Amino acid sequence: MLILNLVKQEWKKSIRAQGFYKNLAVSIMLGFFALYMAVVLLFLGFSLNEILEKADNKLNPMELFNGAMLYLMLFGLAIRFLMQQLNTFNLPPYQVLPIKRSLLVNFLMLKPLTSPVNYFLLLVVIPFSIKSVVGYYGVSVAIRFVISFVFLIWFDSLMASFLKRKFGSGLLTGLIIILALAGIVALEYFKLFSLFHYSGILYNFIVLNPFGLILPLILVGLVFVLNKWFFSQNYYPENFNSKIKGDKTVATDLSFLNRFGVIGEIIGLELKLILRHKRTKSILYMSGFFLLYGLMFYTRKEYANSNGLLFFVAMFMTGLLMLMFGQWIISWDSSHFDSLMTKNIPVRTYLNANYYLLIAFNVICFVLTTPYFLFGMKIVYMHLAAFIFNMGVNIYLLLFFATYNTRKLDLSKSSAMNYQGTTYKNFLIVLPLMFLPMIIVGVLSSLASMNIALWTLTILGLLGILFRKQLITLCVNQFNRRKYLMAEGFREGE
Amino acid sequence: MIQVTDLQKAYNGVTVLNIPELIIQQGESFGLVGNNGAGKTTFFRLILDLIEATSGEVKIDNQKVERNDAWKTLTGSFLDEGFLIDFLTTEEYFSFVGKLYQKSEGDIAVFLDSMKDFFNDEILGSKKLIRDFSKGNQKKIGIAAALIGDPKILILDEPFTALDPSSQIRLKRFLTDLQNQFNMTMLISSHDLNHVTEVCKRIVVLEKGKIVKDLNTNSDTLKELEAYFAV
Repeated sequence: MLILNLVKQEWKKSIRAQGFYKNLAVSIMLGFFALYMAVVLLFLGFSLNEILEKADNKLNPMELFNGAMLYLMLFGLAIRFLMQQLNTFNLPPYQVLPIKRSLLVNFLMLKPLTSPVNYFLLLVVIPFSIKSVVGYYGVSVAIRFVISFVFLIWFDSLMASFLKRKFGSGLLTGLIIILALAGIVALEYFKLFSLFHYSGILYNFIVLNPFGLILPLILVGLVFVLNKWFFSQNYYPENFNSKIKGDKTVATDLSFLNRFGVIGEIIGLELKLILRHKRTKSILYMSGFFLLYGLMFYTRKEYANSNGLLFFVAMFMTGLLMLMFGQWIISWDSSHFDSLMTKNIPVRTYLNANYYLLIAFNVICFVLTTPYFLFGMKIVYMHLAAFIFNMGVNIYLLLFFATYNTRKLDLSKSSAMNYQGTTYKNFLIVLPLMFLPMIIVGVLSSLASMNIALWTLTILGLLGILFRKQLITLCVNQFNRRKYLMAEGFREGE
Repeated sequence: MIQVTDLQKAYNGVTVLNIPELIIQQGESFGLVGNNGAGKTTFFRLILDLIEATSGEVKIDNQKVERNDAWKTLTGSFLDEGFLIDFLTTEEYFSFVGKLYQKSEGDIAVFLDSMKDFFNDEILGSKKLIRDFSKGNQKKIGIAAALIGDPKILILDEPFTALDPSSQIRLKRFLTDLQNQFNMTMLISSHDLNHVTEVCKRIVVLEKGKIVKDLNTNSDTLKELEAYFAV
């Protein structure tokens, strides 16, 4: 059985990838995380009926859910488009073997559908349909409800890979998608056009009509054909597998950095690095979403008094880019580390460049989160304190501990669930960074007052900024101590 | 210019390089040959302070290289693709490296013009990223970048492999010119005995981390080396 062989070989590929065993600690942590998510989703699935019944609406729970279906589809599509890794099954070695091409193409297309991540939301849908849909409409409708959702997943997954192969995943495409989604949500919000309404009509038909399922099935068939068509048009893997060769470089004009001398040059280099690699780009998108994090907390009354938590949110948002990219600092230069170490870049200059880059990240995030100031003076003070603390304390911790990351980072792969190059050390670095201040604020604000807590952190931050020179020297010495270990680790590869 | 004393490098107790003493004079062209695993790249990495010596030291211009930045202004080097920054275009890369050595845009343009012959019109003027170039062209880019800062010492690891025949000949001519015009010190390792004896005036043979031959190149050197490596 040929197809079985292919599956087996793909499996071996992932098992035999170096670093699979080395990363046991990370795998275990991720396992726990997945388990936690599964439990949360299951719980949501079982309680969704009650939640929706309480909603102030004439519609019953399933009708409400159906109204959300097209939204789920669009958001699912967007998330897959931005995050899902294209299935780059390595064709060339198989192409020269006597294997039918159509088989390879089918394998390439359908393999993503077997990924369990795709079906995570079924953990909500199945309990919901058992508890709610069965009660309202009976078993056969419930089954159709679940099946229609599976079709939706298939449609999304196939459509996303088609779009991605066809249009690539440039920064511009990503922006267009995010803007389009925001547009649809805005139309709904201002009651100009209700996707919810049409989604409800469509999916009620699909689920209630005995032959309704034919409609989504046809759609899935259509994307399948679309994918097939794409592969027939682009016969050779060079057309779709790797990046499009040739004149593709986005002209990045960073010449304004020139006046900052060598430090400016290095910062320009790191910015190009971020803009020209899949993985860093997808971190950038994700950061965009995370900036909305505050809406979840600042608007709720039940969090108004949990100062520690609120401060955590404030710190997370004002330091977002620093925290997201900071854990990769230095090691993201791993593929050209030797180059940087032998060219005329003194260690202090190199670290200073990284330092100023992080400062710039902090300023950007702080400015972007200023709209939250509308939620009151408390938020203003918290953001200011968090900003200063990030600039005066966390920044040095990141630079200092970055030297313990000795694993080569492969930036060319995206993205969301990509933990290549992650070790338990990454968690060890980021956790205290995030949670220590949260604990300090929590404790001090309950023992004394929120003001004293915020002032404590602000003063710590100011001290850090004041002693910049000495603290950077510490980092330089640390870098020099760890330099050989880093260089060696980066050369080894994964 | 380069002074090596009691240099040893061991991995897990196995010594892979052991050089009690070696001095490379200013303007010397120093060729390093040896089979795989003889320690050539290890030696170069030690000179460039990319790995830590188990014992002993390397000095460039009477300064220890270890955890020091001073030698970086004097040397230009290209050992492997890790010395390139592969997500830049060639122009961006040359400009980046040039700026590190305080070169103006004008200096860099003049330099690239002087490289025109060597590049054979394949390197400049396209928007291609370095990672999309062939191995041979990447090598040319790396060698050129090593030269952009007017180094006193040039260190190249197997510069001839992956180059096409014309480029190999051009490179040989080019390296000889650099020696004659600028009295540049060169350290070149190679598996190709022909090329290395043509370019270098001094040949050192490494075997299992030890120097087994140290020759001044003359008309018999090639034969002697061929006899040594014959199995």
